[in-house]
Amino acid sequence: MKRLAILLTGLFVAACGSPKASGPAETGAKPMRIVSLDYCADQYVLKLADREQILAVSPGATGSFSYMREQAKDVPSVRADAESVLVLKPDLIVRSYGGGPNAEAFFERAGVPVLNVGWTSTIDGDGMTSIPGVIQHMADGLGQHERGAALAADFRARLAAVQKRAGGRSALYMASGGVTSGPGSLIHEMLLAAGLKNFEDRPGWNPVPLERLTREQPDLVVPAQFSSRGDFSPDIWSASNHPVAQRLLDPERTIPVEGAWTACGGWFLMDAIEALSAEDAS
Amino acid sequence: MTIGRALVPALLAASVLALFAACFLGSTPMPLERVVLALVGAGEPGDGVVIWEIRLPRALAAFATGAALGISGAALQGLLRNPLAEPGVLGVSASASLFATVSIYYGLAALSPWILPLAAILGALAATGVIALAAIRTRSVVTLILIGVGLSSFAGAAMSLLMNLAPNPFTLSDMINWMLGSVANRSFRELGFAAPFLIAGAAILLMSRRGLSVLTLGEEAASGAGLDLRRQRILTVLGAGIATGGSVALAGAIGFVGIVAPHIVRPFVRHDPARSLIPSALLAGLILVLADIGVRLLPTTNELKLGVVAALIGAPAFVWIAMRRRAING
Repeated sequence: MKRLAILLTGLFVAACGSPKASGPAETGAKPMRIVSLDYCADQYVLKLADREQILAVSPGATGSFSYMREQAKDVPSVRADAESVLVLKPDLIVRSYGGGPNAEAFFERAGVPVLNVGWTSTIDGDGMTSIPGVIQHMADGLGQHERGAALAADFRARLAAVQKRAGGRSALYMASGGVTSGPGSLIHEMLLAAGLKNFEDRPGWNPVPLERLTREQPDLVVPAQFSSRGDFSPDIWSASNHPVAQRLLDPERTIPVEGAWTACGGWFLMDAIEALSAEDAS
Repeated sequence: MTIGRALVPALLAASVLALFAACFLGSTPMPLERVVLALVGAGEPGDGVVIWEIRLPRALAAFATGAALGISGAALQGLLRNPLAEPGVLGVSASASLFATVSIYYGLAALSPWILPLAAILGALAATGVIALAAIRTRSVVTLILIGVGLSSFAGAAMSLLMNLAPNPFTLSDMINWMLGSVANRSFRELGFAAPFLIAGAAILLMSRRGLSVLTLGEEAASGAGLDLRRQRILTVLGAGIATGGSVALAGAIGFVGIVAPHIVRPFVRHDPARSLIPSALLAGLILVLADIGVRLLPTTNELKLGVVAALIGAPAFVWIAMRRRAING
């Protein structure tokens, strides 16, 4: 279950390559042969680029954890290995973690500019690590400045419209792998943005605190489903499957979030924030 | 002889102590009297939940897994007359965890809670069956062990294939538990689903244990003494398969305990396989409970998997036993 934690943190951290302006964007020309290497990058490419600009996305783009899975259906996919990608002759490669840690240096040596999805650490703000900042960075790199500005503005408008819950209610995020997330993660920021208090106070990703749950309980539980099985079906041996955790999941106080909303830092996190802040959700 | 007689009571006492000690470990610090009160059901309700639903099931799962592997190991060693035979080495645990993973992967396990243990047992029986068939054909124990190693590698490869084909990165963590083996987050529910198989497997092995003593004379002499070799093989393989499958359904593939425990026990029971079954089960259970306590005490960022620790202790022991054998037998 900790693997999931590592994986998820990996998703948020692996994207931390310093944002660089890509070749085509510098020259003002729109990249027309875009290849995206992982499902995090796929989301931005599918959302912001024109269909004619996209050559291929990653096989993960159609997965249940991919927010843009519907749009990805008629787009060819390619595995993130160097040869399969280069043979397509892309003029821009978009990635957050796809292709492994050496991918950026490798593709740039091969003469293909690489656009990295920036690392998102906050929901809003001016910095490059906020979600609107990343949206704009991606849109500029894809030659779609206007579309990015519109998406970022829409994101901010939705955020402003969120009616934060009053009363400082606590919520426990529970991933199907049995981990929860504490201060310092985007999940934590997501709960705060909805006006909730994070039940988990240890920073980073940790197993769901079963023993603590026998003494005190959160007001709300936020199960996130990452497998394709639809409803919340935790890993067989994970802490989320333990009777102590299962007892928390009564419909009265459960607000499920889709894995696709939280698997990657992006504008779709707003779907989760809106679901969490809706007063009638629990 | 006196040590031999005291062996089972001593192991029982040590196991109870270890299970008790395991109830002290957890994220909530809890003093002795509160643990004792909670165990007898007289403490605060919150303490009772922590002890009875979180700590005790975990410790009991470790003990049951170890006991099943210990008794299966001792019986297989008696049947094959080789101290290196063990569910882990012979690929029985690996096939069981492969079948269990397949049942989860294709959504079968979601249909009924019994499917998971049954799939694990089916995998275990398939592997023990192959080994038993080979045992009829060949007299060479080395060949048998090699077949087991081959089965184990194959199951490992098939497991890697499943992980390789995993539909999304998040299902990997679920699968990896079956390869590494762990008793974290176990509850009485999982114990309940594995228990009938653990008990049935152990009962078959105990009922057929007399034949194992006779087998120490050699197969021909044993047949001469009236032992039905065929029946003995089937019963031992069936019992070991069911018990190992049950243990895998409970904790995943945990190797080498089934070698170490019988090896330690053997001198105390005058190398009689029949008499080594119960002490081996108790000792292997004790070892896993202690190893699980160790896993929880080690201050690593990610809790180590029980199967990893068991292999770290057990694999060198396996090598040591194998080397000593060579020195004696030439």
